[in-house]
Amino acid sequence: MKIKKVMALTMASAMVISMALSGCGSDGGSETKESSTQGEGAKSGATEVTFWTLNTRQNAVDPIVEEFNKQNEDVHVTVSYYDTDGIKDACKVAASSKTLPNMWFNWGGSLGGFYAENGLTYDLTDYAKENKWDEKFTQTSMDLCTLDGKLSGYPTSYNVLGVYYRKDIFEENGIAVPTTFEEFEAACAKLKENGITPISTAGLNGWHTMRFVELLIEHYAGSELHDKMNTFDESYDNDAVVQALAKYQEFCEKGYFPDGFLTQDPNDTLIGMANGQCAMDIQGQWQDGKIIQEGLDMDQYGVFAFPSGETNRMSAFAEMTQFNVDNTEEELDACMRFTDYYYNEENTVKYAEYYNLPLPVVGAEMPEGQPNVPVLLETSEKNGIFTITDQAFPTEVADVLFNAQDAIANGQMTPEDGAKSIQEAIEAYNNK
Amino acid sequence: MKKKKNYTRTDKAAYFFLLPAAVIYLSVIVAPVCYSFFISLFKWNGIGEKQFVGLSNYINLFKGDKIFHTAIINNLIWIVLTIFVTMTIALLFAVILSKQFRGRTFFRGFFYFPCVIAPIAVAIIWRWIYNPNIGFINEFFKALGINFTQGWISDPNVSLYAVFAAALWQAIGQPMILFLAGLQAISPDVLEAATIDGANGIEQFFLIKVPLLKDTFVIVIATLIVAAMKVYDVVQGLTGGGPNNATQMLSTYMYSQVFQYNNVGYGTAVACIMVLMMMIVIIPYVSFTAKED
Repeated sequence: MKIKKVMALTMASAMVISMALSGCGSDGGSETKESSTQGEGAKSGATEVTFWTLNTRQNAVDPIVEEFNKQNEDVHVTVSYYDTDGIKDACKVAASSKTLPNMWFNWGGSLGGFYAENGLTYDLTDYAKENKWDEKFTQTSMDLCTLDGKLSGYPTSYNVLGVYYRKDIFEENGIAVPTTFEEFEAACAKLKENGITPISTAGLNGWHTMRFVELLIEHYAGSELHDKMNTFDESYDNDAVVQALAKYQEFCEKGYFPDGFLTQDPNDTLIGMANGQCAMDIQGQWQDGKIIQEGLDMDQYGVFAFPSGETNRMSAFAEMTQFNVDNTEEELDACMRFTDYYYNEENTVKYAEYYNLPLPVVGAEMPEGQPNVPVLLETSEKNGIFTITDQAFPTEVADVLFNAQDAIANGQMTPEDGAKSIQEAIEAYNNK
Repeated sequence: MKKKKNYTRTDKAAYFFLLPAAVIYLSVIVAPVCYSFFISLFKWNGIGEKQFVGLSNYINLFKGDKIFHTAIINNLIWIVLTIFVTMTIALLFAVILSKQFRGRTFFRGFFYFPCVIAPIAVAIIWRWIYNPNIGFINEFFKALGINFTQGWISDPNVSLYAVFAAALWQAIGQPMILFLAGLQAISPDVLEAATIDGANGIEQFFLIKVPLLKDTFVIVIATLIVAAMKVYDVVQGLTGGGPNNATQMLSTYMYSQVFQYNNVGYGTAVACIMVLMMMIVIIPYVSFTAKED
């Protein structure tokens, strides 16, 4: 009887612990939300504001918010964390129930544009004029945050994507940085021959694999047609897209991506690079910060522009903090004070690996210890940029592209049908 | 002649005590369901003006939406698997765990244990188990010297079943506990009498235990069907409905339409169909079994 009691108690404890652990485990989870309040709760009479941001930045945001709350008796910031796809969904849910926070992290293009188009974000145009933002932020970042004719966010980063590669693997295999598409293909073939998966990608939610597919489209379509297709001025159902999707299919068949990549988590692509199974990964300049966070050897990692042809344009996107249109003056002021504090020099230097540096401000300095950041930004200035596809496309069209990627990789769809399905989705969206 | 109903003081008190629950039920369940049906008759992005479209959302779903058709089929497959696999294994475990043996309490807890883990955590655990490069299953085969790798959740031919296996691991606990409770409620005298009459173990199980577990079966089957119809977390966490909609469920599709594409009316129509499908299965089943009593 006693044994039974002990056993029951043990099992009950195990269950409680497992419940607690499953909660902890969800911290880095793909869909779950973690919420945290810094400090000892709101001070009486303080303006309370809420902030939603990415959980990948929690190690920096937590101490920054705590310090800000300590220094500002009249403001209390509460922060909630979400993963990349979680924050997109959470904001949409909140938007439809009119429960958006006072400020939230967002991307530019169609993702942030939804909130501007529906009058949910504070139009900062006048605020920017009054506070001379044109002297503070770069024009490119201001332009990328101007959606539906409104300055709909506080620019927080400007990102360009290139091909991160393992220098040591390239060297061991006698591969030089490819300067043409043919050289890139030859490099992939050689890597595969030597037992290394050329490209680390992960298809869960589609957007990581899209980074490669859009470069193939840029290669076959050229910059002019690609831009027109992304603004829906030209059909996606054309030879260039078919060729790009056929090349993607060929890469899948040749095993240039990891086994089972279609349902792998895109936040884990660095693992393949770190353990030497993969040689390349298409990432933005934040990857340097991630390499530092993971304690990897930065000297092993280099970056180059994908040789898509013409000037080898790179995909780019902006990030911003958007503010709720329903904020009172006090709340907006509190949000601005916090955002300015969050992006001040002291914090950006102290927590450099958790920011996508350099900040999109005039005269911003390159972050120390992140050698690939200046390479990427300088190359993008020289080569030019195009808007990353999932920000150029509305979500429902982007999802059709993602489904086509999956189906083509699995041999369920031909490249011709893939191109057709994307165009059909564009037409359906336009006719909504 | 109609008999006059004999309401007593107890009857009135029962209604009185039911009132708070009824108010909550009506406001939290019934009203939102009715409002959802109302929304499903509109084209609406959740924020702007609603445009009345009648039954167009329903017609479009059944007429030309291939993803919706895939989701319905997947849900039906999931229901069948749940009834035949989950319920069978749960019953088997319950029968074994109802017997007297050393460590019985431990094993009861052990098999119930996955049930208390959040489904999204289950998805994360199983994503690593299924990882074709560094995952447990393929590494296990490698350790045994078997050269076999499988993209468990990325292969559209097996992904639905692989996701079901992950869900199964978690789903067994609840019905197992219900069956266990049902088995323990069977009087030992009945089984003893059957033994004296010469019934062997299998005969006792099929001719005595199963019929006496009828009420438990009603609850288990009903709850399993409802759970199968609204399965979401584990699918969303493992595959997000992919690859290429191979694991798309009505719930995940409804979520995408409402919260990702802002097609609130269209997505709500999916939700209404889900409710309708559940009612079509559950109401006749429960009323039929109740009638037999």
